Amino acid sequence: MNEIFIIIKKELTELLRDKKTLINSIILPILLLPVLMFGVIKVMEMVRTSNQEKSVKIGLVNAPEAFMKLVKNDTLNKVTTYDESIDFKTLIDDETIQTAIVFPKNFASQMDSMESSAVQIYRNGSKDNVNGRVSKMMSVYGEALEQKRLTQLQLSSEKLTPFREDYVEVGEQKELIGKSIGGWIPYIFILTMWGGCLLAGIDLVTGEKERKTIETTLSLPISKFKVLFGKAIVASLLGFVPALLNLVGLVVGLRFIDGIPDEIKMALSEMLSFQSITLILLLLIPFSIFLSGLIIMLVAGATTFKEAQSKASPIIMFLILPLVLAAMPGIEFTWATVFIPVLNIGLGVKEIAAGTIDMTLYTVMLVSLLAFAVGSIYLSYKKFSDESAILK
Amino acid sequence: MIQLNKLTKSFTTKTGKGFKKETFTVNAVNEVSFECKPGRIFSLLGANGAGKTTTLRMIAGIINPTSGSAVVDGVDISEGNDEVKKRIGFLTGSTGLYERLNPDETLDFFGKLYKLPSEELKERKEYLFDKLGINEFRKKRMGQMSTGMKQKVSIARTLIHDPEVLIFDEPTSGLDVITAESIIELIRESKADNKTVIFSSHIMSEVDLLCDDLAIINKGSIIYNDSFENFKKDMTAPNLTQEFINRVKEA
Repeated sequence: MNEIFIIIKKELTELLRDKKTLINSIILPILLLPVLMFGVIKVMEMVRTSNQEKSVKIGLVNAPEAFMKLVKNDTLNKVTTYDESIDFKTLIDDETIQTAIVFPKNFASQMDSMESSAVQIYRNGSKDNVNGRVSKMMSVYGEALEQKRLTQLQLSSEKLTPFREDYVEVGEQKELIGKSIGGWIPYIFILTMWGGCLLAGIDLVTGEKERKTIETTLSLPISKFKVLFGKAIVASLLGFVPALLNLVGLVVGLRFIDGIPDEIKMALSEMLSFQSITLILLLLIPFSIFLSGLIIMLVAGATTFKEAQSKASPIIMFLILPLVLAAMPGIEFTWATVFIPVLNIGLGVKEIAAGTIDMTLYTVMLVSLLAFAVGSIYLSYKKFSDESAILK
Repeated sequence: MIQLNKLTKSFTTKTGKGFKKETFTVNAVNEVSFECKPGRIFSLLGANGAGKTTTLRMIAGIINPTSGSAVVDGVDISEGNDEVKKRIGFLTGSTGLYERLNPDETLDFFGKLYKLPSEELKERKEYLFDKLGINEFRKKRMGQMSTGMKQKVSIARTLIHDPEVLIFDEPTSGLDVITAESIIELIRESKADNKTVIFSSHIMSEVDLLCDDLAIINKGSIIYNDSFENFKKDMTAPNLTQEFINRVKEA
């Protein structure tokens, strides 16, 4: 056991003296989420402010007086009035105007006789800001006309509303948000973990070949298994620690970054309770060992960093696909899914975040991940012991 | 003492196009037998790909033989590689040093794995650092050192556990004459200390300087094995290099 610790200490010292590893495994994971959160909030704020300050060029045909007034009240709107409907598509394409609203000639008489009319709105569906503002104006104007008709008909709006739906929410806020966004949490951990394990796994095995130290290591008076196990532990540590630091970054970000809506802040804080974090981290320990074993197995035969990367990179597909599945509605954490690695973590974390995890299933998942970890260490040992692969 | 008895190493390679797969087995080392005695320097000569490195790797416990046996300092390599490795100092052109460690850390790492008591490790390290002149750069990382400095640390690393058997596989390959001289000096000192020394080379001047016994290996098989004195007596060519070439061609 002492020999494995000596290997771990040496490999960790070496890796942590490598700037690339230090940045990828320690600095980036701490900063990633706070910077991302801060960045997203700032960008959203900027977009919202800039949209509010943007003027909209509107073309109007046969617009009634009341509507004209409504449009002109918003000083940012630049109105051009046209006598008749023309080729608005071209005008919108060449940005003379951004949208056109065409009322029928007899709109006033249709309104007076309480008929239903049709207003044509020329628009480009991709211009969300313009379309949103026009829709808002149309609905304000429509509501005013509706109210006018109700008054004329001496009807109260209640009479046109036979019933209203009152929802009584029995689920906790944590469960609601946990089920909807909990599925995305594993993306952060697993992808960061993947990056850390990959970098360390390649450096510890292929890196030794490139630096011509593999023969030195193999001449050490300890078994190949101990050497491999020490390397796998270090690779998994460099996958696990960034995931942990991601979590620290998330908690710190939530506490100190302004502008996050209170309900999201509260739900996330509740989701990331001590119990939830412990349950998630317990899953990540065997998973990081599994991932490291898998990577070492794949890169053991590679002779260059580039070759190792191309051999190990396809695994990412086997990480992302189950995570996408886990985030989709309808796929549940059951006896059928509990044994599938990655998918089980995705679904399990969702349940943990929602506070609805079944502890029996959780234990089974943990045991199955441990079994996968043992299996991958065994396979990586077989590959590491393959003389023609390791001494290539 | 090293005794090899019909030591064989086969490598299997698979090739194939589509569904047709073929397996080839090549004997890189074929029933090699020789003996290296303490206090004598044994040279293993051979061209590139002759099987020198594979033989030495088997003796050092880095790879396992397919058949045959080898006894190193009284321990059969089949009884466990770790026990054999503890008795060996292994230095080759490809036993590099960990670039992000300094000499102090490197020797501590090796010493601990050789299970040297901490006091003994400290004394041995200081002795080697003094003897090889490593003290002035003992805290410098290996990656920042010159080839000569690295070679000194490699020698210290090889000798940290004072092994009874020393294996050198083309140890001077690619080194300048001054750095190579330190290796030659080490081999001589090891002989004087009554160690068993085996080294492979294809540099005949080194062989002439150091060798007591020699074996020539060609295509995995030993084609000559006797004392260097007898080899020189039997020479028909004007120099060692030509004699070596002639014997390989005749085999």
